[in-house]
This record gives sequence, structure tokens and C-alpha cells, in this order.
Amino acid sequence: MKFLHTLTKGGLLVALLLLCNFAMAQRIVKGKVTDAEGGDALIGASVSVVGTTRGAASDIDGNYSLEVPAGSTQIRFAYTGYGEQVITLGPSNTVDVAMKAAGVLDEVVVIGYGSIKKSDATGAVSTLTEKNFNRTSLTPEQLIQGRAAGVVVTNSSGEPGAGINVRIRGTASVNANNNPLFVVDGVPLSGGETSGSSDAAGLGSQAARNPLNFLNPADIASIDILKDASATAIYGSRGANGVVIITTKSGQSGKGVLEYGYTLGVGTLANTYDVMDARTFVAEWQKLNPNGAASEVNFGSETDWQREITRTALSHSHNLSFGGSGQGGDFRFSLGYLNQDGLIKESGIKRLTGRFNGSKKFWDDKLKVSTNFTAAQTLDAGALITETAGFEGDAWANALKGNPTWPTHNANGTVFQSGKTSEPSALAMIELSDDATNTLRALGNINAEINLFSGLTFKTVLGFDRSISSRKNAFSKDLIAGDAIGGKGRLFVTDIETASKLWENYFTYNKEFGKVNFTGLLGYSYQQFQNAGKRNVYSKFSTSDLELMVNNTSTAGVSAIVNSYNVTDELQSYFGRVNFGISDKYLLTATVRADGSTKFGGDNQYGYFPSGAFKWRITEESFCPKVFSDLGLRVGYGITGNQNINHNLYTARTRSSDGGIDNGGVAFTGGASSVTSENPAIKWETTTQTNIGLDWGFWGSRLTGSIDVYQKNTKDMLVQVFAAQPSPNDFVWRNLDADVENRGLEISVNLVAVDKDKFDWRVLGNIAFNQNNVNSFASILNTGRISGQGLSQAYAQRIAEGQPLFAYFLREFDGYDASGNQKYVNDLDAQVFVGKSPIPKMTLGLTNQFQFGNLDASFFLTGQYGHYIYNNTANALFTAGALGAGRNVTNDVPTSGESRNNAPDVSTRFLEKGDFLRLQDVTLGYNLPIKSKNISGVRLFVNGQNLMVFTDYSGLDPEVNVNKAINGIPSLGIDYNAYPRARTISVGANVTF
Amino acid sequence: MKNSKFFFLLPLFVFGLMVFQACTDLAVEATDSVFTPVTGGTFAGNATDLLASAYNDMNSVADQANIYSLTEHVSDEMIPPTRGTDWGDNGVWRTLHAHTWDATHQFVGDSWNQLNGRVFKCNQVLASTSPAPTTAQIAEAKFLRAWYMYQVMDLYGKVPFRNVGEGVEVNPRVLSRSEAFDFVEKDLLEALPGLAVIGPVGDNSTASKAACNALLARLYLNKAVYKGASPSGPFAFDNADMAKVISHCDAVIADGFTLEPNYFDIFKAGAKNEIILNTNNNGGSPQNRVYMTLHYDNNPSGWNGFATLADFYAKFQDGDQRKGLPAAKDGTEFSGIGYGFLVGTQYKDDGTVVANSRNGGAPLDFTPDIPLAGATSNQGIRVMKYHPGQYGKYILLRLGDVMTMKAEAQLRSGAVPAAVVTLNALRAVRAPSLTPLSTIDLAGMLDERGRELYWEGLRRTDQVRFETFDDTWSYKTLTNSTRNVFPIPQQALDSNPNLRQNDGY
Repeated sequence: MKFLHTLTKGGLLVALLLLCNFAMAQRIVKGKVTDAEGGDALIGASVSVVGTTRGAASDIDGNYSLEVPAGSTQIRFAYTGYGEQVITLGPSNTVDVAMKAAGVLDEVVVIGYGSIKKSDATGAVSTLTEKNFNRTSLTPEQLIQGRAAGVVVTNSSGEPGAGINVRIRGTASVNANNNPLFVVDGVPLSGGETSGSSDAAGLGSQAARNPLNFLNPADIASIDILKDASATAIYGSRGANGVVIITTKSGQSGKGVLEYGYTLGVGTLANTYDVMDARTFVAEWQKLNPNGAASEVNFGSETDWQREITRTALSHSHNLSFGGSGQGGDFRFSLGYLNQDGLIKESGIKRLTGRFNGSKKFWDDKLKVSTNFTAAQTLDAGALITETAGFEGDAWANALKGNPTWPTHNANGTVFQSGKTSEPSALAMIELSDDATNTLRALGNINAEINLFSGLTFKTVLGFDRSISSRKNAFSKDLIAGDAIGGKGRLFVTDIETASKLWENYFTYNKEFGKVNFTGLLGYSYQQFQNAGKRNVYSKFSTSDLELMVNNTSTAGVSAIVNSYNVTDELQSYFGRVNFGISDKYLLTATVRADGSTKFGGDNQYGYFPSGAFKWRITEESFCPKVFSDLGLRVGYGITGNQNINHNLYTARTRSSDGGIDNGGVAFTGGASSVTSENPAIKWETTTQTNIGLDWGFWGSRLTGSIDVYQKNTKDMLVQVFAAQPSPNDFVWRNLDADVENRGLEISVNLVAVDKDKFDWRVLGNIAFNQNNVNSFASILNTGRISGQGLSQAYAQRIAEGQPLFAYFLREFDGYDASGNQKYVNDLDAQVFVGKSPIPKMTLGLTNQFQFGNLDASFFLTGQYGHYIYNNTANALFTAGALGAGRNVTNDVPTSGESRNNAPDVSTRFLEKGDFLRLQDVTLGYNLPIKSKNISGVRLFVNGQNLMVFTDYSGLDPEVNVNKAINGIPSLGIDYNAYPRARTISVGANVTF
Repeated sequence: MKNSKFFFLLPLFVFGLMVFQACTDLAVEATDSVFTPVTGGTFAGNATDLLASAYNDMNSVADQANIYSLTEHVSDEMIPPTRGTDWGDNGVWRTLHAHTWDATHQFVGDSWNQLNGRVFKCNQVLASTSPAPTTAQIAEAKFLRAWYMYQVMDLYGKVPFRNVGEGVEVNPRVLSRSEAFDFVEKDLLEALPGLAVIGPVGDNSTASKAACNALLARLYLNKAVYKGASPSGPFAFDNADMAKVISHCDAVIADGFTLEPNYFDIFKAGAKNEIILNTNNNGGSPQNRVYMTLHYDNNPSGWNGFATLADFYAKFQDGDQRKGLPAAKDGTEFSGIGYGFLVGTQYKDDGTVVANSRNGGAPLDFTPDIPLAGATSNQGIRVMKYHPGQYGKYILLRLGDVMTMKAEAQLRSGAVPAAVVTLNALRAVRAPSLTPLSTIDLAGMLDERGRELYWEGLRRTDQVRFETFDDTWSYKTLTNSTRNVFPIPQQALDSNPNLRQNDGY
């Protein structure tokens, strides 16, 4: 503290001197702001007098006029994407400025509590800005899907608002949530769910929604992905899975700019299963049921159930924003509205977002106050698609297995049902159930940054993140499915409230000492996370009307409180960072963060996470060949942590277990049960990571890129393991004495292929390799629950020493014997490691961008290789036994050689290569050559998403990850009735006023 | 002007310095739970709540998986056939019946957790301080602890033990089967005086003297097994122990329990005469006993699962009530379902024949022969003790068990005529039209236990005690004597270095 005290005293003196101003005469400076390359006028560039609040903006022809007080000698020009330029005034009152579009080297990288020039970055960071986004994305994480090396974004299914799985540099841990830390405008998100997962009344559990849904992608200016530990260690305990820093747009142009964008998306089913038509189905069923009369299964209709429950899904997206800057301040206000239908009827998402970002400088630019605020209302309508449906299946499973001769409706117009709880109608499941989630979330911060004296600034940030969500999941008593619903009906009401508060304060000091450029950061952060929720369940309804069930709950004859909870956790941190730049050649960064968390008790509350990195800019050396426009070697090492476990697992405590209503409609209450026993030894999980990277550029930066190799080791893994019995709980959280190793190589390349006046062609590519292994682990953990008929206790993955995480553990299928029963290799009817893993060994992305005058085009390919998918859908549905029992199957089943009495146990029969290459995004855009007083720009575009997938996978889509966790151990790469993915064609227009 | 700006800055500095002071000491509050610290062997738990919860835990045996499956599918009276896509379930059922389970078997692991966790919960009841247990609650908690620990001892041999004061960092000590026997015996003998006398009252889910006596009888009857040198025998039964069995059985009978005149009434709601202990209101419904065996096309629609073996069915004579009653078929709901063994053609409530939708609509006909895998949907005789729509609570202890235990103890202590008298008293109610027994041997005794108690979760223990568990029967061809106890689950071994795997695994 003494250091700070001295700092403060000195600062006061300097500040005092700086504040002295003398009023003198003014003059008017005029000029034109143009693009240095094309010579085009830059409209709305910000022009300001350095050291004052005076400012102006360039007009439609790039001209500006500015009053400059005498005594002021410098003018600052700023324009989005062009950076800043400060001109020292001479005697002339005319100053024309040609601004250069910011090249790769001048790009700014946001690194947490500050930003840095990309060329000075010592860590492995991928930065994506608007021009590299998947621009028609409807959710934030899709913006970066496939665009950054080593970053794998998987939506758990094609459902609008579906949960996400973002993996940076592989999977380091077996926590339920391995997503990176998301930081939105400086506010770290809690990572918890903001909407309730649900329980479909015995038909499986339904996933919680994407927690990033509340952000409108149109508001996002840039996304920086911190990948290695030297970069993420500044976020300490939450940095182990990487950090994704999202920066939203702020007002830029000098004069106010109004922008409006509209996109119409038309989504169609990208792929369907080749199930039998009615005639084939009856014929093939009869072959397996020689005793049977066709009338047993032939109901006379010809129904394509996949078509019946799906539709052409329209999405409308409106974005309106108004922003501007000048006079030392900027503001931007935006409204976004999205109405996206899901491919499956009744499902979809409606989202209304509002955002205000503003900042204002005071006291001769010494104090800057900024605020970012966003509020979003999301209405999710879910279809009855579940992750763990048992033998009855969910709506999608029944669209696949449903008898194709069933009619969709009865003669009287009601929806047809077979009458068997095990064979529901897919359409009835859609029409006789309702799943609505309403989430209101507000996130914001207000911060003040004060320049205390030359080079020393202090910033304080107050942030909040609040979300209120209610999910109502109703099943009409008319629905004949499972044991709990028919005749009784069922309603679940799940409410979740989360609140996070943030207070951060930090000093930044920047000073040049001769050839040494020093930047120091010292800060304190406090964040509080509150999570509360409750769930009620109702049954024995007098009404079958879904709306009445939800809105007039006393129509239920029995109700029960499942449970409620309310916990608060705190995180208190001290952090510091120093950067030394010596002669611009040697750059050194060291960070340390001390995190104190209520997730741990006793002496383990604080974890210390240091990192260090060094960069040698070889281009600055005289011996560096001139062919290199950039050559820099980076070496970094750091320790990060993970505290992603439940609230207070170290103090012995008890609470009442869940109540509920059993399948018969009888309510039961919970009983006293231990949450956890005394477990003081539980401590931080730590990941150490070494990164070596090379940044390079050739031919005047026409070809640039970087290569990184890394090794990540996770130790003291926080895992729920079998408790040593007798114990109050079956499982106990331990720091596992295991080591999960991730090694990899990432290459990204940017090429300016053609750079002519009328034709511009750029290629951006990335490729990443990852290898994962579990070392020194003395036990086993099973995961990857396989669901479906006759698969109740089945699992497909085991975590064990010497295997990659989530290694497949299966019977080795070896065809069928003469009687149609399956054979196994060596006749071994037991599961073994089969040497295959769901983790992609290689991921890649390739973008081509073209510009022909006013016309632009781009296409983007993304792919993943070397991994395997367990096709639980086929395992559960597409077997001879299923056909024999009167359920529809794919056309290949009858010729497979399988007997109808064969038990399709979990085996390599259903393990498939997951390799794919996807033409993810094709865009054609046209900027109308309008120069009008009222409209400054119009861009029209056509976009196609998910246009083609090259894969051998037999399921709908190889990019799939349904949550099949067992006992909290997550799974990876299992496909089970995943909501189908759309192929979307969009047209849209953006107008700038 | 200058000064005013300066004054704005000063508080900001002070503020800036202040914020470097810690905001929080990171102490957590108990917002939705109660801290229950353990100090000196006591525990700040609520004995009443925990005891209620320990009772609720008994209900899980009504599930068809886990504990129940370990006691039945391994025996000669139940088979879990895989029928095409049904009941494969990763082999968990088949491996139980074929005696090929291993230490990673799902039910072996889950049952271990369930039972041992409940022992610990009973320890918590006994160590609770807010409030502490009453004398009666202490007795009930000891009974329940014995109830759960008995099952660990019976299934796994070894029993781990942890006091409430021993936290996660302590590796539980391990009791040998013999030590566990002594522990259970001590608990039950200590519980007995404090338990209430509860006779046949119908719905009785509270531990009573009768329940304690019944469990003591079971304990002494199996003492030779639990104290034996090898889990697979041979076992030497001691007359003194048999005398204890008889006296505890007599103590149960003395509390007023009588045989139900109609066997299947025992399992109906409102029955009371011979129910010593049943599950309580919080779950524990016998519904899964209905679903786990009935065919899809029965009403109610079942899961078409488990069946009995033809050889076991052959042990029943006509005239024995326990063999079953035909369906009423009077049009009332579920009247198409018979009682006891369902064999042959099946009917709907209105008396018409059920069409088997899994066999092209042919009449549904349950046939006795049943393979373990590749079974067709109609193979296997189904068993219906808890009749749908009529069942009451799930029965945990009942008089039929006590009477046959008494007879067995008499037989094992050489008093064959006394055993015959006891059995004939039972058979006079169960099979009044049949000729009374004139004599009885061990094989006959096991058969009689089977006839009285089939599918009630006792067959494995009986077969081990009668040393027939290593015999072969339909689709059980292994005669591996180490299967008389289950393995210690692999993950339990990994979690506690004091545990050693049972021989043969």
C-alpha cells in the first residue's frame, strides 16, 4: 500500500500542473478526410482538438471544419477500422488527412483489463471483428464458429436457442461445464444456467438453453479469444478453459448515424432419415411377423412423420441502432428483435434486446465515464425433444419410429394416437405438450477511468448481471405417452433467478524509460453470484387444455413442491500485470492473480495463478531478412484454475431432498438428507500450459499468420467420484490425482491474394490439431449414457488412464451369426476400449472473401476430423427388433442380417466416423452506390448457411453433442434424436442513414 | 476552477485506495441448508427428520433394479430375458442371471452406495443433537441400521464402517462378515427393548418389536453362513442358534399376527393380518412389480420383462392357492389380469383374448420355456402378487416368512415332526385341499420357502444357505463358488484402500 500512497502524492502534483489552462484566441481549421488507399471520402470521421472537448465530424464528402483554440497544437482524427491519427498543426488552416485502414499489425487485441497492439501481444490470442464473423448468425457464439484456430463451437442440436459447447484447445477437465469464461464488456458471466432444464414427465430431461442467448450478435463489435495460460491467467481461477472477451459496439461516427438492418431467413430441413414408406414398412414387418395379418400394423394412411412435425422455418431479424460520437463522448443505442421459428412445429425463439453504450470524457479528457447496458427478453418455445428419452422416445424419435401407416388425425379432427404409452404419435407429442421459457436478463456496467497523471490511470467498474427465468412445461392428459401423463396430465414450473454483482478497481501505469516501455496493472475485483430457483409439479388435471393447465393451476388435483434453492458465492481477487517492451524487440509480460472463492473452505480459499510470457520481435533485428514484414517468437507459461463446482461442498450440511409426484399421480415429500459431509481438503483444480508461438508476415504483410504449439496439463481435477462408503452421499467431490494432457498445434494464415482497385481477394484459414490423454488416474469414470428401448443401464464412454477423455468403451461388433444374433470379436460380450475418441484430432476453417467494386462475396468452409460419433439414435431405433415390434426403421435394416430377437447392445456397430467438411456460409452482398443526403449507404445481401456437408456419418448431422452425462460426468460426441439442423437461406438489407 | 477539480480528484483517490481493502472474508452462509457440524462424535442434525428419511430409504427396494435385482435375478425363480430390443440394458440383467457379473456391474455399485449410505444416515440419527433422538428413536434407528447393514453383509460379505465424526479424509474401516454379524446382532438386541409392540394393524411402516424379532430370526438362521469360513459353505448350523430363531419367531407370532385366509389378499390394500412391516407413504409403491412382468398388450400395459423359470413353476401343485387364481374378467378395470403365475392365454378386462401386437396380433399366450436372450415377446410365465389396482404398500416383512423360518430352524435342529407341524399349519391355510405333509427334508424346506415367498427378494439368501446357489439351472451354467457374495464394486475399492476385493473377482 505504501507504493500506492507515494504514487498518489506524485500524481496530485502532476495533475495540478496539467490542469492549468490559459484562454487565448481561436482559429478555424478545415480539410478533408480520405481513405489513403482508394482516396474515397470518409464520412463521419471524428475530428477533435487534443486536450479539449471540441470536436466535429466529417460530412458526406469527407469535409470537416473545426474551431481550434489558440494554444492547442494537435488535432486527432479517428475513424472506425482506421484507427487514430494525430496531426500537429502548422501555420496552414487547411489539413487534409489520408487515413490508412488498420493493417493486421496495428490491430488491437483486448486482453482483459486492457488492450494491446497485436504485434505486442505475447500470448496466444485470436481476434475476430465484424468482417470475419459469420455475419448472419443469430447467437453470439456462432459468430466465431470455425473462424479461430483451436476453438470448437458445437451447438448441442439444431434447435433455436439450444445449449452450446465451446472448447478452446481441447477438453481439459471433466466438469459439467467446460465452456470458457465469457466476459462481456468487462463483466465476467457466471457460467451457470440462466434458464431451467426441465423434466419431461418421464420422457427424458430437456436441456437448459444457451446462456448467451441474451446478446444480440448485431451489437457485437469484436470477440477476442484468449487461448494460452499466459493470456488467461489474468482471469486466474476461471481461465483454464480459455477466455472469450466480447466487446459490444460503441458509437463511432462523428455525426449521428442511424442504421437499420433486416434479415429474412428461410430454414429447411437439411437432411432427413431414410425411413421406410408405408408400403415398404408393412411388407417388411410381415416378413418378420409371418403369423401376423397386415391389418395389425396397417392403418391405411401414408404419413411422412418427419415432414408432419417439421416445417419451413422463417426467421425475421430486425436491428435498429443509433449512435454517434464527438465532443469527447460517444453513444450507441440499439434495439434488436428476432423471431425465429424452429424446424419442428411449435418450437422457436423470440428475442427482444435493447442496448445502450455510452461514454463521455470530462476534465480535459482526464476522466472518462462509460456505461454498457443491455436488457433482453427471450421467449423460448420448446418442442418435446429430450436428451434421455427412454423406450417411448421423444417427438423426434417418434417421427422416426412412428408407424407410417398411421393417420395424422382421426376422422373427427383430433390428433391420432396409437393408444399405447410406448408408441406415442410424434404429432400428438407436439400438439399436446407445451414448453415455454420466458427469460428476462439485464447486464450492464458503469465505469469511470481517470487519468491521474502522466501515464497513470485508475479505473473502477461496477457491473451487474441479473436474470429471471420461468419455464412452464405442460403435458396434456390426452397425451398417451409414458406412464406419468396419460389420463393425469402433468405440469412443471421451473423458475430460476440469478444475480451477479461486480466491483473492480485497477490502476494502469504506462511509461517509457528510454528504450524501455513499461505498462503495469494492479487491481482488485469482487464478484458475487447468487443463484436461486424453485420447481413445482402438478398432476391429475381436470382439464386437458394446455393453456388452462399453465394459467389456472388449480385445475390440478395434486401438486407438489419439488424443491427450491438459493445460494450465493463470492469471488475476491487481486491481480497484477507488468509489460516491458525493450527497444520494441523484446516484450515481456508477467501476470499474477490471487483468487479467493467461497467455493473452497479453510486454507484452500485462495488460489494463486501466475504466468509469464516473452516475445522476441525478430523483424526488429538487423539480421532479419527483408522478406519478413513481421517475425516474432512467443513463449508463454502459466497456471490457471477451475472452480466450477457446486456451492459449498466443504461444510457438512443437510437439507430436505426433492419431493414430487410419482407416475401414479401420488405426491411425496422430501426427507432430510446430507448435501455434503465435512470436506475441507477440496481445493482448486489447476491447469498449467506452455505455449510457443511464431507470428510471421511476408511480402509487405500480404501473407501473415501464426503458428502455436501448446501443452496443457490439468491436475487436481475436481470430479464427483464414488464416496468411500458409508457416506452421507453416493458421490463426493475430490481433487482427482490424475493428469489430463492436451497437446496441440494451431496454424492460422491470412492471405491477401489480389489487391487491385476493382478486385480484392482475401483468404483466411485456420487449422488446429489436438491430442488428449488421461495420465496417472487410478480409477474409472463411466459416462455417455445410451438411451432407448432395452438400453436402460447402457453407457458408451469411460474415462481411464492411458485413454483420451471420453474414450469409447464398447463391445466390438463382428457381424451376425446364422440366426441373426450379433457376434463380438473373440466372442467377448463385454465392453472394451476400442481405441476411438469423440475428440476431433483436427479442426479447420477456410474463408474466401472477394470484393468486386460494390459487389462482395465470401464463402466459408469448416471441418472436423479424426473423431467418432456414437449414433445412439440408430442404436435405439433402427434395429430389426424395432421393425419386428411394429416401429418404423431406416431402409437398410431388413438387409442387415439381424434377427428381430437380437438385442442391439451398445457396440461398435453404432460407432461412426465423425469427419465432416461443411460449406457453412456463402454470402453475396452489394453496396448500392447511393450518395444521398438522407441515406449514406445501403447494403443488400443474400446468404446461405449450412449449404452442404461432406460426411460419411449416417445420422442427420455430424456436428452434434447431446448431453449424456452420468453422475455429473459429461459426455462428448453422442447423437441421440438431436433436433435437426436447418439449411438456411437469408436475404437482408442494411441501411445507414 | 483548479481547486474545484482537485476536490473532485481527492475523494476518488481515497476511494481508489479503499477499494483495495478486501470486501469480503469469503464466509459462506447457510441460505438453503443447515450447517450440521460434527464435533466429538455428535452431529448437529435433526434426529426426527433424519429418521423419517431413513425410513423413506427402505422404499427403494420396490424398484426392479439394484437391491431387488441382486436378490432375485441371480436365483432359480426369476429370469430377466432379453427380448429383441427390450431389456438388453447393456447386459446388466443377463449377467446377473448367468452369474457373469463383475466388479463394475451397475447394480452392484449402486446397491453398495444405497445400502452403506443408509447405514451412515442411521449413524447420523444416533449422533444427532438438534434435537437428539428419543429412546424410541434410538431403538428405531438401530433397527434400521441393522436392516441396511444386514443387506451389505449378506450381499457383499465385508462391511465398511464410518462414524459421523469421520470425514471425507478418513478411509472407513472394514468389518469382516463375522464382525458385521456381531454388529447387526448387537444393534438388534439393543433396539428390541425400546421398540413398540405393534400387532397386525394394516398399514405399518414403523419398526416394531415384531419386525426386530423377525430380523433377528433371519440373522440367526443365516448365522452359519455369515460366520462360516467360506461364503459358499459348507455351513454348520448350531442348535443354540436355531433355538434363538424359533424363540424370535414365536415372539413375532405372540404379537397377534395370523395367516391371511386368501393368499393374494396379503398383497391388497387394507390387508393387515400378516404384515409385520411395509413401506411408508413416500414412494415405495409396488407398481413396478406389476409393470416389470406384464406384457405390453396387457391392461395395464407392462414393460414385458421378467418371468419365472419353468422348473420353478413346476414346484407348485394344483390346489395350492399360491400357484395363482384366474382373472375375474368381469369388465372392471384390470380384471383381465390373474393372480400368481400368469401362464397360457391372456385376457382383457372384458374376457376377450389379448392380441399380441409383437406377434402380428396372434393371441397372447405366456409359455413356460424362456431363453435368457433372443426371447420372443410371449415367452415366460409372469408373476402377479401385487395385483394392479388392488395393491397396498410394499411388504418388507411378513408372517409367512417367519413361519417358514421357524419350520426350517426346527428342521435344522433335528426336530422334524415339529417342523412338519409348523409347515402344515401354514399349508392348511395356503393349500387346504392338499394332503398335509408327513415329513420334510432340506430340499423340501427350500421348495416350501420358494412357494411361500417367491419374488419377495429372499431367494438368493435362501439358495446360499441351502447351498444350492452353485447348482445349475436354466441359462445358469456356471458353478463358480465365489459367486456366493458379490464383488466389492471397483469404484468402492478405488475409494477406500482398506477394502480388499472378495476372492474370485
